[in-house]
Amino acid sequence: MKVKILLFWWHAVAAWTWDAQDETCGICRMAFDGCCPDCKLPGDDCPLIWGACNHAFHLHCILKWVNSQTSQAHCPMCRREWQFKG
Amino acid sequence: MVDFARVQKELQECSRDIERSGIKVVPKSDANLACLLGTIPGPIGTPYEGGTFQIDISLPDAYPFEPPKMQFTTKVWHPNISSQSGAICLDILKDQWSPALTLKTALLSVQALLSAPQPDDPQDAVVAQQYLRDYQTFVGTARYWTESFAKSSSIGIDEKVKRLVEMGFPEGRARSALETVGGDENLALETLCSG
Ligand SMILES: [Zn+2]
Ligand SMILES: [Zn+2]
Ligand SMILES: [Zn+2]
Repeated sequence: MKVKILLFWWHAVAAWTWDAQDETCGICRMAFDGCCPDCKLPGDDCPLIWGACNHAFHLHCILKWVNSQTSQAHCPMCRREWQFKG
Repeated sequence: MVDFARVQKELQECSRDIERSGIKVVPKSDANLACLLGTIPGPIGTPYEGGTFQIDISLPDAYPFEPPKMQFTTKVWHPNISSQSGAICLDILKDQWSPALTLKTALLSVQALLSAPQPDDPQDAVVAQQYLRDYQTFVGTARYWTESFAKSSSIGIDEKVKRLVEMGFPEGRARSALETVGGDENLALETLCSG
């Protein structure tokens, strides 16, 4: 059955910056200025990636999600089809 | 491997918010964060009001990339919840899961399901039939189950039956009268006297 889900937004989509302190990845819930749970140290080797819908995640986190889906993956935040922003 | 750092965070966020949401999640043991127990209050204005419902949660290895497994351990009378096993029919716990959802938001959705049954997509066919054909009886039974299984005073129901039997009513009739009125002893007595 379907129930309308209230997604909780932690951020204003338009206001993303690299130096924001309190922004967290919607998948692992770690801060964007840190790294995903699979990486030990923050830095360039755990980059952020944006979708066409303007939602950002750690690259490693969104790849895990996309690879876990047998069909077309959807953005975890807004459920639109996930496309990497070109 | 379950992302335990995230689970840890979720538990903290959830307990910080417990006053407002009434939603509780606790590990069954400190040794294993993959087995948890959730608690939701029955929504106001529904036959589940006043009840406290427990939900068994187990996290698959791939959590949060796969949905948590949730099942009622408190017996509940609802078209989308098995009255036998407590299994829940809810899309976000299946193909509509998103890793941006949390144990708390999932439990909030289960609570929303209690408020808005979907008999067209049932988990329990018997309950769904009753919901569609005889809504009043459905409400009575759902309330009776809340009264009997979801309240700390639930033990009281057998006491009530016993008192009615002592007044001279057959046990079967006493029990079904209580069931029809949602466990209210005085209303049950009225029903029995007028019947
Ligand atoms: Zn992440
Ligand atoms: Zn990483
Ligand atoms: Zn999105």
